[in-house]
Amino acid sequence: MRLARKVWIPALAGTLLLGGLLVLAQDASRPVFRVKVDMVVLGFTVQDSKGRYVNGLKPKDFRILEDSIPQKLNTFAEGGKPAMQVMDDGTLKPMAGQTENAAAAGPDTKADAFVGTNVFVLFDTSNYMYRGFVYASDAIADFVRGLDRADSVAVYTFSRNLNRAADLSRDRNGAIFGLRKAVAGDDAALYNCLLLTLRDAAKVPGRKVVIVFSNGPDNASMVAPDDVRAVAEDEGIPIYVISTSEASKDPISSGVFRRLSSKTGGKTYFARSWQKQVEAFENIREDLGNSYAVTYYPQANPNEGFRKITVEVIGDAAKKYRLRYRPGYRPSHGF
Amino acid sequence: MRIPKLFEGVGTVRTPMAKLFLTCAVALQFALGQDLGTQAWQLKQRGEPNAARELLENAVKLGPNSIGSWKAYAEFLDRHGDTGARKAYETFLSLTNDQQEKQALSRRLVVLDLLAGDNAAAANHLENYRAAGGGTLSLPAIYAKPAMTPGTYIEIPGPLRSFARMAALSPDLSPDELLPALARNVVTNGYQAASSNESLEPTEYLKLINRYLAQARELAKLAGEKKAIQIDQCDSTVTGDVLKVIGYRMRGGCGAEVVLETVNATKAFLTIDSGFPLAELEQSLRANRPFSLSYAPTQIPVLFAAEYWQSAKEKQNQEFIDSFLGDPQLCRLYLGLAKLDRETSERMRKSVSVQRLKAFAHVLDFFGGMFYIENGKAAVPGAPKSEAVWAELVGAPVSTPEKFFENLMSKDDGWLCSYYDALLRIPNQNLRDYLTETARMKRFYAALKGKISSPGPARPVFRANTDLMLLTTRMRMEPTGKPHMPGAVETWRELFLKHPHGKYDGKLTKAAAGWKDVDDVIEAMFALCRKAVENEPLKMFMALSDMNRRRSEPLSKATVDRLVKDYRALSPQYAVINETSALQDSTVNQFVDAIQAINSIRDQGVRADAAGTMQSLAAMWQILVRQNTIPEDKADAALKSMVEPYLKAKSQKDVFEAASGGLRTLLKQTEGSGNMQDRLVDLLTGAAKTTDTETQTAMQQQAIRIFEAQKLVSIEHLLAMADHLEAVGKGAKLDPAIVTRVSSRLTEVQLPRAALSGVEKNALLFGYWTERHIENQRKTNFKSAAEKAGADPAKLADVRGSLLPILRDSMVGLVYAHYAPPGGQIIFTNPLFVRSHDFIGMQGSVATWKTTEVVGTGWPASAGGRLVGSLAGLPYAIAEAEQNFLIPSREQALIWGDLVPQMIQSSKIPRWWNVSPVQMHFAALHLHNADSILAEAALNEEVRKQVGSILIGYAAPARARKVSALLSEGRLTEARENVTPAESYSLSRLYTARNAAYTGAIPDELRRIEREDPASVKLEVLSRAFGTPKPTLTNSYRPELLELRTFPTLMGYSSRILAESWESNLLYYASLADELYMRPSQLNTAIPEWTKLTVEKIFATHLEDWPALLRSLRLVGNDVRQKSKTVAIGGAGN
Repeated sequence: MRLARKVWIPALAGTLLLGGLLVLAQDASRPVFRVKVDMVVLGFTVQDSKGRYVNGLKPKDFRILEDSIPQKLNTFAEGGKPAMQVMDDGTLKPMAGQTENAAAAGPDTKADAFVGTNVFVLFDTSNYMYRGFVYASDAIADFVRGLDRADSVAVYTFSRNLNRAADLSRDRNGAIFGLRKAVAGDDAALYNCLLLTLRDAAKVPGRKVVIVFSNGPDNASMVAPDDVRAVAEDEGIPIYVISTSEASKDPISSGVFRRLSSKTGGKTYFARSWQKQVEAFENIREDLGNSYAVTYYPQANPNEGFRKITVEVIGDAAKKYRLRYRPGYRPSHGF
Repeated sequence: MRIPKLFEGVGTVRTPMAKLFLTCAVALQFALGQDLGTQAWQLKQRGEPNAARELLENAVKLGPNSIGSWKAYAEFLDRHGDTGARKAYETFLSLTNDQQEKQALSRRLVVLDLLAGDNAAAANHLENYRAAGGGTLSLPAIYAKPAMTPGTYIEIPGPLRSFARMAALSPDLSPDELLPALARNVVTNGYQAASSNESLEPTEYLKLINRYLAQARELAKLAGEKKAIQIDQCDSTVTGDVLKVIGYRMRGGCGAEVVLETVNATKAFLTIDSGFPLAELEQSLRANRPFSLSYAPTQIPVLFAAEYWQSAKEKQNQEFIDSFLGDPQLCRLYLGLAKLDRETSERMRKSVSVQRLKAFAHVLDFFGGMFYIENGKAAVPGAPKSEAVWAELVGAPVSTPEKFFENLMSKDDGWLCSYYDALLRIPNQNLRDYLTETARMKRFYAALKGKISSPGPARPVFRANTDLMLLTTRMRMEPTGKPHMPGAVETWRELFLKHPHGKYDGKLTKAAAGWKDVDDVIEAMFALCRKAVENEPLKMFMALSDMNRRRSEPLSKATVDRLVKDYRALSPQYAVINETSALQDSTVNQFVDAIQAINSIRDQGVRADAAGTMQSLAAMWQILVRQNTIPEDKADAALKSMVEPYLKAKSQKDVFEAASGGLRTLLKQTEGSGNMQDRLVDLLTGAAKTTDTETQTAMQQQAIRIFEAQKLVSIEHLLAMADHLEAVGKGAKLDPAIVTRVSSRLTEVQLPRAALSGVEKNALLFGYWTERHIENQRKTNFKSAAEKAGADPAKLADVRGSLLPILRDSMVGLVYAHYAPPGGQIIFTNPLFVRSHDFIGMQGSVATWKTTEVVGTGWPASAGGRLVGSLAGLPYAIAEAEQNFLIPSREQALIWGDLVPQMIQSSKIPRWWNVSPVQMHFAALHLHNADSILAEAALNEEVRKQVGSILIGYAAPARARKVSALLSEGRLTEARENVTPAESYSLSRLYTARNAAYTGAIPDELRRIEREDPASVKLEVLSRAFGTPKPTLTNSYRPELLELRTFPTLMGYSSRILAESWESNLLYYASLADELYMRPSQLNTAIPEWTKLTVEKIFATHLEDWPALLRSLRLVGNDVRQKSKTVAIGGAGN
């Protein structure tokens, strides 16, 4: 029977993007469904008791556990710096093919796949944003301009449907051109469109975040926010939400925003108006610039459901540190 | 003669060895003197079109001077719409010395040149044609579009693109279409009732357009005589002036740091929403580069002349666009007149004052689209016999068409005009004759109009009289010349007299006692069409007529009586049993008995499970019958034996036995053995016997992915566990592994993910989210229950019964997987989507047998949207739920919600495993043939007349006339763009049948296939292969082509009828697949994918914007062709 039998074998190390196969082929003529364990990308931030980012930590300073099983790191990166390969002794080595000017290259080249962050901006252009539409547009333009040079950015807009206004690129002008072409729409299908954005982001290698600019209400989505959150969790994509106090008029939306972001390793910001988002932008940029990103191929684990991730910083000083990261993920399945 | 077996199939293998074999095959055929065309045909018949093409390609390579080879090759390419046909014909022409052949070839080349838009080549080939003794054929003079002279156009400030964005007009509209589209938007969206009085006030939509126009005028002033906004440097006064108008200011001084930010939100909104190039301006300011924007006013053609539409006062005080936007009635008149063909509208303009026309603009808008003048007379339904009665009713003879149409519009607030419109749309000659018989016509009209004619049918914003159109379009005629009457007159008399569902109409109830024949019943149907409420008797009448349509023996009166009685509660289920005409009355009755038996189950959970499993069985039966996996002669017995156990099922264990037994019965009707789960997946994908394993695997994988995403339990495992428990009752030892593999799967099932805290749940919801069905499954501990039951057969039977909810979900999941469209997201994101299917409905309503509905959309507090009701409307509902995950490829475009679910279900319900290559080729040939006929029509007036007379039976008169005009002006490409693939199919069929002298590679092939294989290309067979399902129009999911005119926008449920009347997609895709030498089985994955792409490319302005859909179809066709070429080039490169 092809649906239920799944056998887990250890992942193959050394492949950059895909992990091993977990297969038991039975009948060559029939498709067999398998558990696939892809490489896990995990981003996290470390702050001290005063909320200051802790930088300069090395792989040997961390322990990553999945369901309490220690994991062996494959790559390590800090902030916008290029990812380094983690050797068996914990030392770091530049990855093969990495060039000094990798940051100037396109976002898809393997060598710099882990340089900078892939930022997906999702701009709500529904009726709910009618009054704040132009101010939000200005705010997003400011945010895009302020991103690190190594980051790539895509601008998507949505009302009832999604629109890919500017594809992922390091070209800031292209992103702003796309943004300024946004058209005011009607209904708001925020969670449908957030899901589609996550699906796009999931196809891109490296670190990625989704930043939602919205006042909140959703009157057209078919998917539940927490189903969308689960996708973000599984794919390791933090969701940041930038909103205004308008959102507090809809307690459901503001509550959902907080949960969505906190469970995925992101944050939600409510400013008094769209013009007053400077602090939020600064915080997000700091988050992106001060976060760590590691990759690893999960060790043998029979759990096909939710796998809990724990990040620990080793040492006494670390006891006062606050770490922010996604709580876990579900391994994917496929043929 | 066939190709020697040794070489069969080599054409599809792209290896040097295979190619060598193919070359040898060609050489052998040369040696044997075989007919290459026949060989290619045989390969095509076997589903190897690529091999056929390669065979011919090799033949011309091996014999570059062989006339036979070039003939076969050129004709083959021509029949596939291959652009290489022209070149091949050229070579063929250069080789042949036969004058007659030269003549025919030259003529064909003229046609192909015209179709390719190469008029110069057409002129050369025409010379060749004449030189070879051809007739006096001449190319049409290609008329240049006349330049717009003052008065024939109006001006709108600013660029068209900006205005179109603000007015929600598609950028693809042709200039002629702009003002009618704007008028339509103003009529439907521009005004609303004022809250304070009875007048109309502009909506936000219209206010924004007006504000935009004011801003555009200010910018135009700045643009000055140069008609360009020119900013030479950042630090200039012009910069400040422009920024002030557009509502922005500079933050930071001129230079790299300058940023534009909003200062006036109202103006800035217009700037962004109209697509002003703000980012470009900002870039120029930053770089201190000159910025230049052309800001010439847009000239838009206006019907008649601008002065016709404005009063003297308006002309003085306002620009045309302002008075146009400010007068919804004027917009409605414009819209109405724009729907008429040029001759008719011109004559109306000359003879009727604008004020009088304006008074009846609403009637003209809704029903004037069918007005046209033919041979100097007003065209009327049933002419010439009915001309006198029309003259009498209208009060003017048809020989004075202007007066006739004026009276028709102005009479009884539009009732007579709506009657005229409905009768003129009737495709069936017999029905038209029946309804336009003098006495009957008057009688039915009187019934429709009633005694008080106001309010008329044109009063609402959308046409209200869907039922009238449905009645006249779908009424079925018997060979006796009378309409078909389901049951007997008594059936309908009883309905009105006893009115089990409530009284329909007091007068009709009184009159019903005297009803004697079908005319009395039809009269009542007409009378009910005037009511604003739903015309339930008409729907019953149509549904039951449809159920009898293909039956050799109509349903008995008793069965019809029962179905009429149960209509309100069970009508969606009628489409299920209408999947085949092979059901006996007893089976139909048993199906209804089973429904009633299920309704009597007291436990709500068991009742839902019983309904869910029986509906799943019926849905699977429907799919297998549709795919011919269950042959027609076994369909009745299969349904009967599946349904029978439900008659007595009361408890959970009874229902479990009925469901599992039903599955076994279903599988018994089909060939094969082995794992039940695998067999069900294989059977439902429909590919049990195919050789196309690639498509088969892709479809199986999709089904399994969905099953897995929903964490459903394998039916094989469930039934194995049930069997094992039975065996334990007979003394076998309990095998915990069998139980564990079911229960461990259930541990993966989570509770619905409602994003709410406990307090929020209590405050905002009222038990809606509570899913006892899911919770119960999670709570059930099968291992413990089985152990506790020990060897007690009764207790073990109870444990077996407790598997029922899980079995229901697995069965429902298989049906969901069958209809899930590509690009679907919910089914992969919400792991409880299938389990959440609600067979009971919200409190206070019983949805168990109603059609499937999508609920919970836009409710973030819930656990996501879900489907409620029966499975009868599942294909549409699942498409409706998934449609908003499609991503429009154009900014501002939205998914066309009224049309898209029907398009998606049309791509998922039919399957093409049983369609032969010849059938697909035959359909494609018709579409190519229609193109050729249109090209011939551009060359020949006689052909053009015939084309016009055929098209007017399918297309709106104005469009049919437009095509004729475009052809006479030599604008073939534009003419083709105005003919839909469905119309092309009908045109080719009728024209070829009526003109035996019309010959050539394509018509000859059509006739040959019809002669040699008539059964496989019969009208109804092709209708089944490339038709679309029309559950609203035909009360059945069985795909078919009705060759209808597309319906206008109607109110209420009729948006589905509008969508169902569009039949072009599958014909177009079949033609595309044939052109790309694909196999019909590949359509099973290609058509859903192409449909998705088509939907994403549509940019429509309004609900009847069929040209937008047509453009999108063609764009997808071009993309697919291009991609196929790229792959071919890549393959050749390898």
